[in-house]
Amino acid sequence: MKKLISMLLAMAMVLSMVVSTAALADEATGDVELPREETLYFAGQQWGAVNSWNPIGTNQNNSMGIAAGAGWREVMFETLYMWNVLDGKLYGLLANDDYEWNDDMTALTFTLKDAAKWSDGTDVTAEDVIRTFDVGVEIANGTGSSYGPYIESVEGEGKSVTINAKLNDEGAPVNPLKILDFLELTPIAQAAWIDTCYERNGGDATAILNDPGDDVVWSGPYTKYFADDQKVVFVRDDNYWGQDASMWGKLPVPKYLAHAIYADNPAGENALKAGEVDVCQQFIGNVQNLWLEDGLPISTYYEEAPYGVCLTMPTAWFNMNMPVIAENTALRKAIAIAVDYDSIIANAMTGQSPTFADVPRSLMNPTDGEQALYDHDAVADLQWTGNDVEGAIALLDEAGLVDSDGDGWREYNGEKISLNAVCPNGWTDWQASMELVAAAGQAIGVEITTYYPEADAYNTVFTDPDQTEYAIFMWSPDASTPSNPWTRINQFMGMDYVGVTNNWSGNWGQYKNEEADALIKQIPLTTDEAELKNLYTELTKIYLTEVPSFSLMYRPSVFHAVNESVWTNYPYEGSTYTMGDGTEVLVPPADCTDGFGIAALYNLELVG
Amino acid sequence: MKNTLRQVFHSSKFVAGFIIFVAILLLMIIYPLINPGNPLQQIGVGTFAKPGTYVSLYDATKAPVSTFRLPDAAEKRLGTSLSEEDKAAMVEWFEAVGADISDLDTNDTEKMLEMWDEYYDPSAKPKGMIRAKILYYGRLDKSLKEMGSGDGDSISIAEPNEEGVLEETKKILDTDYVNTKEVANVKTLPLGTDNFGRDVLKELVSATGTSIRIGLIAGIVATLIGLTLGLLAGYVGGFLDDIIMFVTNIFTVIPGFVLLILISYSIGQEQRGAAVVAIVIGFTSWTWTARSVRSQVISLRNRDHVNLSKLSGHSLVRIVLTDILPYIASYVVMAFILQVSSGILSEAQLSLLGLGPKTTEVPTLGLMMNWAMLYSAHTNGSWWAYFPVILTITLISFSLNLMNTGLDQVFNPTLRD
Repeated sequence: MKKLISMLLAMAMVLSMVVSTAALADEATGDVELPREETLYFAGQQWGAVNSWNPIGTNQNNSMGIAAGAGWREVMFETLYMWNVLDGKLYGLLANDDYEWNDDMTALTFTLKDAAKWSDGTDVTAEDVIRTFDVGVEIANGTGSSYGPYIESVEGEGKSVTINAKLNDEGAPVNPLKILDFLELTPIAQAAWIDTCYERNGGDATAILNDPGDDVVWSGPYTKYFADDQKVVFVRDDNYWGQDASMWGKLPVPKYLAHAIYADNPAGENALKAGEVDVCQQFIGNVQNLWLEDGLPISTYYEEAPYGVCLTMPTAWFNMNMPVIAENTALRKAIAIAVDYDSIIANAMTGQSPTFADVPRSLMNPTDGEQALYDHDAVADLQWTGNDVEGAIALLDEAGLVDSDGDGWREYNGEKISLNAVCPNGWTDWQASMELVAAAGQAIGVEITTYYPEADAYNTVFTDPDQTEYAIFMWSPDASTPSNPWTRINQFMGMDYVGVTNNWSGNWGQYKNEEADALIKQIPLTTDEAELKNLYTELTKIYLTEVPSFSLMYRPSVFHAVNESVWTNYPYEGSTYTMGDGTEVLVPPADCTDGFGIAALYNLELVG
Repeated sequence: MKNTLRQVFHSSKFVAGFIIFVAILLLMIIYPLINPGNPLQQIGVGTFAKPGTYVSLYDATKAPVSTFRLPDAAEKRLGTSLSEEDKAAMVEWFEAVGADISDLDTNDTEKMLEMWDEYYDPSAKPKGMIRAKILYYGRLDKSLKEMGSGDGDSISIAEPNEEGVLEETKKILDTDYVNTKEVANVKTLPLGTDNFGRDVLKELVSATGTSIRIGLIAGIVATLIGLTLGLLAGYVGGFLDDIIMFVTNIFTVIPGFVLLILISYSIGQEQRGAAVVAIVIGFTSWTWTARSVRSQVISLRNRDHVNLSKLSGHSLVRIVLTDILPYIASYVVMAFILQVSSGILSEAQLSLLGLGPKTTEVPTLGLMMNWAMLYSAHTNGSWWAYFPVILTITLISFSLNLMNTGLDQVFNPTLRD
């Protein structure tokens, strides 16, 4: 009897536990049921719960709604122009297609589309653009800190807007290129809503930056529908102004955009394989196996390697705060030429990158547009393809960095040269690269050990301009914007960022070169193409001679692997969007949301 | 001593475990002699080459040729490029472009290929067909074209002549064969390569050695600490016993693995060599040795021979070493074996979490698993990168545990037959 009772009790306990966990699971998945045939599922953007819907705030952690990838994500908040990474042109969104510079490039004018409206039905006007910029400068948000130094003021009335450039001492604009960036990267917020937000926070900058913005007014085709720590869902706004013939002439196809929040890359990858995710913005090693071996209906932008459009170059930066690095150009160059880049590309990128033999190293990304900007022959002698151990050893021997105590490692000023190669833990392709940099060090007698701190710790250290903890560390310069390659070159060698605390902007190795800096400063004001090419070539020469950093691979800024189980007609090589006037524009593989890439959402079709 | 050893080797369990362990040790010693070189050397460019024998294509074209007319050669060739699924897909294509397939026999390969030539159009986009499928047909068409017509096919090798124009230098017929013994470069990779293109078997052998060393160091450290504290607490007793047991209890209550993670994390990766990790593992796993040694000592300390030694005025060290330790020696050896086994497992667990030894210096079993996992070997079907590692860990700890059980049967009176 006693046994029976205790058994019953145990069973009751187990049952209640099962029931309660089932209830918990129910709660966790939320009560949003989305029809599969109306929902486009994403992976690889949103990690963790959304913090805020405030387009003028900071730290929103809202990568589908308030973020930029290959251009601004035009899902909920729209920019004036859309950037197309494939043809390097700006296409009008809130603004009409043509903007105009005045003769000395001190002012840029454009008009806003007549049809452009906010979600509350009011017109998008010059006032909104002005207020977005002004409040940005006042509370120092991303817009303010990025463009405040380059834009003096925004003015205008009704639908017409003028942007006045900030002028330097000689009366020339500081950097007209940055104004073009403003056009495609700044989400315009409604002036009336900004005022509401401003007043309820009493004008306190910190409070405004952290305002959750739940009552926000938007202009884009989608708006928030549901968000928790499991997923975020956007729903189409069927009153979207863009269905006017002056813009898209129709609504985007999927009714919902959904992004489940996955624990890590493998989880997202498995969901893509299972057909639970349609568009995957994640690096997938050996992506071709998904269709070659597993026979899944998955494809990428290009059928063959590198599968995506490579726009950026993850780079290993030398820390110039360390005397042994700063004082020995030969050491920097030796390490850079000894690294086996082919292995990095084959292993870390599993071949999803052109090699440095295909696209010789310079300051440019591999797109045709940027490659045409410098004189390839003039720098051919300086370029290297890597794995040149003998050359590296010769360089070091010549520079007097030799192993004099016979322990197998070279010394400088009597001390063993011992460096570390650092990147965040869990970033596997970068970790594999750092392993190969360390292997190169071993081959040439320079001790390099790998070190993978957690991302938070890494971010704190590498953005500190005085750090001496990381000798060689990784970060990617800018990918593609109207101001590139200038911005990227400025990140490689510009002195604007030297000594800047909490430096997320560039020159993370704190490299100082007055000559290079002067050349960089000339570029934005140069319009003559031959002169520009000359400047870029000179800068490439300096970069390849001085080696303040070395790029390890070419890489897409957003990845694009799509599963055609439910949706099809995603952008692929050569596919276009037909504009209202009948012109065909290439649709970039930009996550179906970034810049002109959002055109993909208007092209989608259901399978079958 | 001789008698004890004989007894031990009569235990079938101990012998089985011993043989497995010695076999692993022998492999560790002999394999590097056969296949010398740095186990971390990256020989393959690219990730996860499949296990098998790789023949240099370059050398093969230069090796002497023998001619064989094998009856099933053409069929085999076809088999590798045209599977049943491909045939089904071809039929699907014929349907999609509206061909007449009423009397098509899919086993009639020749007819199928004929129809394929007639109906396949690379630029066609049948309605409703997804891009992945269109790309698939493109690849299928390519492989069918490469397969050729069947008999009397050849591949030409051409080299640029002095004017830079390609000139045929050699023709390879479909009946040409080379003996692999006459090809200069043939590389057998029994377990393929890992994500860095390293020879997995070579790495595995080296990693097993490192892991066993880590296990040994961890075991020695844990056993020494546990033994010393247990002997002191048990024999001296009183206040010292209280203090030692207080510390031991604290360490017992905190889960050892959590402590291990925290210590490894705070040491930082730069300082984490294999030896440091081993010592840290040893420092966190001594508690139960201390506790059980103490209880054994307590039961021993009032025995007559111990009292006799005390009366004779022997020192504490001498009494502990000569009158107590020999009685618990068999137990300590068994505990040590278990510590070694759990040390190897702890290293694997730590490395899997990314808290193992730094990766550039030596391979360990845990690190191999860690990299295999980071590169999704378990989801992309590269079993050779992790399964042999798991098997090795299992075999090592299985053999050690088997030896322990065997010893237990010999030395534990209650288990003795």
